[in-house]
Amino acid sequence: MLWAALIPEPPRDASTRTETLAGLATWCLQFTPRVAVIEPESPLPAVVMEVEASQRLFGGKRRLVQRVREESNDLGVQQLSWAPTSLAAVALARAGASNGFAKPLDQLLDALPLETLTSVESHRATLARLGCRTLGHVRVLPRGGLSRRFDGQLLAALDQAYGLRPEAHDWVQLPDSFLAKLELMSRVEMAPALLYGARRLMLQMSGWLAARHSGVTAFTLLWWHDAMRSRSAGDGGELTVRTAQPTRDIEHLTRLLAEHLAKVELLAPVGDLALRADDVQSLEEKSTSLFPEPQQAHESLELLVERIAARLGPQSVQRAVVKEDHRLEWACHWQPSSEPRPRRLARSVDIPQPTFVMPEPLRLATRNHRPLYQGVLQLLAGPHRVEGGWWDRTTQDGQATTRNVVRDYWVALSEHAGVLWIYQTRLADDETAWFLHGSFA
Amino acid sequence: MAAHLEWAGDEPAPPPSLVRRPLQPGELPAAVQAALWRGHQLGSPVDAVRSTGFAALDAELPGRGWPCHSLTEVLQAQPSIAEWRLLAPTMKQVVADGRDVVIVGPPKTPHLPGLRFAGLDERRLLWLRPETPAERLWVTEQVIKANAAGLLVSWLPQARQEQIRRLQICAQTHDGPVFLCRPAAAEHEPSAAPLRVQLRVGLDWELHLHLLKRKGPTHEGHIVLPSMPGGLESILTPRLRRPSLLIAARKAHEAQEAQPTREVSHAVGSPDPRAAPRRVNAH
Repeated sequence: MLWAALIPEPPRDASTRTETLAGLATWCLQFTPRVAVIEPESPLPAVVMEVEASQRLFGGKRRLVQRVREESNDLGVQQLSWAPTSLAAVALARAGASNGFAKPLDQLLDALPLETLTSVESHRATLARLGCRTLGHVRVLPRGGLSRRFDGQLLAALDQAYGLRPEAHDWVQLPDSFLAKLELMSRVEMAPALLYGARRLMLQMSGWLAARHSGVTAFTLLWWHDAMRSRSAGDGGELTVRTAQPTRDIEHLTRLLAEHLAKVELLAPVGDLALRADDVQSLEEKSTSLFPEPQQAHESLELLVERIAARLGPQSVQRAVVKEDHRLEWACHWQPSSEPRPRRLARSVDIPQPTFVMPEPLRLATRNHRPLYQGVLQLLAGPHRVEGGWWDRTTQDGQATTRNVVRDYWVALSEHAGVLWIYQTRLADDETAWFLHGSFA
Repeated sequence: MAAHLEWAGDEPAPPPSLVRRPLQPGELPAAVQAALWRGHQLGSPVDAVRSTGFAALDAELPGRGWPCHSLTEVLQAQPSIAEWRLLAPTMKQVVADGRDVVIVGPPKTPHLPGLRFAGLDERRLLWLRPETPAERLWVTEQVIKANAAGLLVSWLPQARQEQIRRLQICAQTHDGPVFLCRPAAAEHEPSAAPLRVQLRVGLDWELHLHLLKRKGPTHEGHIVLPSMPGGLESILTPRLRRPSLLIAARKAHEAQEAQPTREVSHAVGSPDPRAAPRRVNAH
């Protein structure tokens, strides 16, 4: 049996104590379903979990211990101890020791003071008068006398800690929805600084999601202003972050939240934080491969797109939709990457098309009826007539018009600007004009 | 030198079994030969490359292709003239591998029906549109760091050399080639990119390349690559395959027209007073 005992930092008041313990237990549930809260009313409550059966899933004992140590540190766990029994782990944690496997358990426990086990500590005055200062001293007393003079709890706790009697626990149940609160250590005035506290909540949420085999597609960070706020500031605010695919990757969620928080301006210093998982979807677990797969890189492109869109706006990440239209402007439409795209690819054309188009056709000057663009253009192939579009009605400046075009396209060659796609069109009064529309870059 | 000779004379002669075939002058033992890099050879092979699709260009590049894990600068006098023509064969390979092509901040709008001739389709092209130069650099760096793109082309008209160096360090973990399109004026600035290519468009459906910097000896002259932009192949007549001749003919015609038409003298026997000294000058 491999038990871990986690003692959180002592909470400031009783109301947050239950929440801290519940949050910690929720986080623990991602490793094992065998999680219990030990003595929630005592001054040093602890959360214990048994992870013997989970070692292989998390990549071996060493990596599991490493991960628990690192993440629990972020969660604000004061002391983390490992021992073969839960009470021994708690006792070691209260005494400040972390490794219960360094020596035989008897030797380790015998040296601990009486306060480390609550059932023993309640009889400390009597035991001290008997000359007992450590658990070892209590254990060498005759068992019959002990059970007659003290209540049965003392002997039971001792036996359970030493592994002589089985332990029974009330296992923590996983809550159906996730809402975790956190009282910040100090008032936070800048929104990006909320990230430190939010990360702690995010770790809990990730643990909750892992235990439910789910990922989150929307979560909300809520904050409440300090009591000393001005009246106009209001109670607080909230920020909802959405992701395209369900995920519980803490690094990605944290970066995404950081991009969104960078745009938030706090009206008053913030005292409390909460995190709520809004949309939870089951996540398909992928078995990891022995060899690195190129497919993983493709997945991270979606994450990258989300991060860039979060900072620069959704308009800055675009993908194309090709429409089957003969007019150049409407043949290719760029839209934000997050918007849905047609499933079917448009048919391709085999007529020449430029690779870059101007945002607006550029009117060209002419000399001797020849178009000029960085010198005289040499017309190569044409005319390629594009005409029609009277059916495409639109409203421009309050007037209904059609996007009808009548154009003769030419491939033109410029000595400096390469191969160009220009067209000649008729203006009013039988006048013609040349326009530069694209380039074969 | 004299001391060396004395020392050599003192040494006892080695047993005949150890005597090797005497090396010719200029010849080296095989083990030394393999480990030696000479200045005129192309530099140490780059670990991963993508073929450029042009045999003439592959032959001049270290590792015979565009290097992965590092930056490649493409310098042009004007942007958006020939980038796709140069990179289309590589993009075709990237898309065929099922990887995405990411472009950052091109100066004009990419037109996908035309890019289909370069092997791209709308599922595989991602256009990132940062606005300020700082955002361009940030986006480029994020794409490189994420290592999510099969090929990245970024237009950086205003990048400074320390920013390029930073990108080059990031690019060492990027599995695909990274192209930075920069103005030709950047030729005179030092740059951390291990490969710098100057690109010009030739009139007769050609690309003229000059390698400003590569791992290896300096490159002299120009590489001329045949390159036909997408879809034009099918409509060009043999006459249009040499547009330089057309332009030369047009210029000659224009020059002829532009010359002041000399008044033809109808009076017989009255010679042009200016003609005689000119003829003398000509000889």
